[in-house]
Amino acid sequence: MNELRGPQHPWTLPSVVLSVLVLVVVVPEPWGPLTVALAGAVAALVLGPAAVTVRAAVVCFIPWVFLILLHGVFGEAPRTSVVGLPLSKAGLATAQAQGARLYAVLVWSLLAIARLDPSRFLDAAATSGRGVSGSLALVATLQAIPRLGERASRITAAQRARGLRVRGSLLARLKALAPLALPLVLGAIIEADDRTATLELRGASSGRPRTALQQVDNPTWERAVRWGALALALGALGWRALR
Amino acid sequence: MTPRELALVPVAVALNVAMGVVVAQLGLPVYLDTLGTVLAVSLAGLRCGLIVGGVSQVVAALNVGAFMLLFMPIQALVAVGALLACRAGGLQSLPKSLAWGAAIGLVGGAASAGISYVVFKGVTAIGVTAVVSALRAIGLPLAWAVTGASMSTDLVDKLLVLPVAGIALRALPLRLRYRFPLVQRATGLTG
Repeated sequence: MNELRGPQHPWTLPSVVLSVLVLVVVVPEPWGPLTVALAGAVAALVLGPAAVTVRAAVVCFIPWVFLILLHGVFGEAPRTSVVGLPLSKAGLATAQAQGARLYAVLVWSLLAIARLDPSRFLDAAATSGRGVSGSLALVATLQAIPRLGERASRITAAQRARGLRVRGSLLARLKALAPLALPLVLGAIIEADDRTATLELRGASSGRPRTALQQVDNPTWERAVRWGALALALGALGWRALR
Repeated sequence: MTPRELALVPVAVALNVAMGVVVAQLGLPVYLDTLGTVLAVSLAGLRCGLIVGGVSQVVAALNVGAFMLLFMPIQALVAVGALLACRAGGLQSLPKSLAWGAAIGLVGGAASAGISYVVFKGVTAIGVTAVVSALRAIGLPLAWAVTGASMSTDLVDKLLVLPVAGIALRALPLRLRYRFPLVQRATGLTG
């Protein structure tokens, strides 16, 4: 994490993402969403990891194709020719603005998650002196997702070894759903029950503040960025309401 | 949050995500990404279901963009629908589960259509957008195409989620079932 430049506090970039979510919807088309998208790409290139700019474009590619299809191809007249295709002028403008919005939100989100260190996130909540249960739930969730995903794959492999067919007609695949889902669901419920007992034994219900393993610095400039992001989003909403 | 909620929320959210792995392996055109939400409501009540739904959307937002946060009301609607289903014993049998699944699917689909049309201009998940494109190709206006696609996919999705949840809860070991009064009411099983 130390090699990454820019904000180090785990709440700063998520705050910016929430602000971006508001901004891309309220800023005027076509330049508003494009500017926010460009700012996200520049932020990723400068702060790192730069690869999120490409990953965001890859994820956006199919939605971009659908936007051109739904609004450009199936859109209303008047039409203009783009590489030999007669596309709706208004539809193209809608597709371009919506495509920029998607990219903007995605590149900022991927940037935030790429730089998120779950343990620092939890320590930041503990350092702030507020309750940690929300942060603990989020961090435990991020750790549980790969575990259950892997378990789902293991169950599929085991059931297939026992003769379960996971291909074929739609009805055959629907019939295979219960033998795959039920062991996963029952295992998850039993795991949650065991964890409840563990958390109770460790005093999770005591209500006392949690001690941070490491104090997380919260410099003034990062606090200013978070408050600035909030002010920008509120300002944009106010400007849009008054327009 | 109580220890039970703290333990259940991560597992239920992970279940919402892991069901995506299962349906992808089966090649089914559904998501089943509210199964964890329905189970959380059955096991620990509405508050836990709402937290699971909210955290699920936050996790989705971290992976596929913060726009997913705008679908949080759908998770809340599913949680409320699941609570009503549990209180009415809606998971006692397959027909009852299917009926509640249809009701929740239609309501959720209608709400989802509104968000998809207004915010996303009709382009959301690939499967749903493919249906929207097909409906547009046969001449339906965009608003109707989005509504038809969202409601049909949500209907099919919830027609699977509620029965799977019902079967799983009815299969719970007795020692667990005794700890969850709402599960006993939802499934009509008192051990």
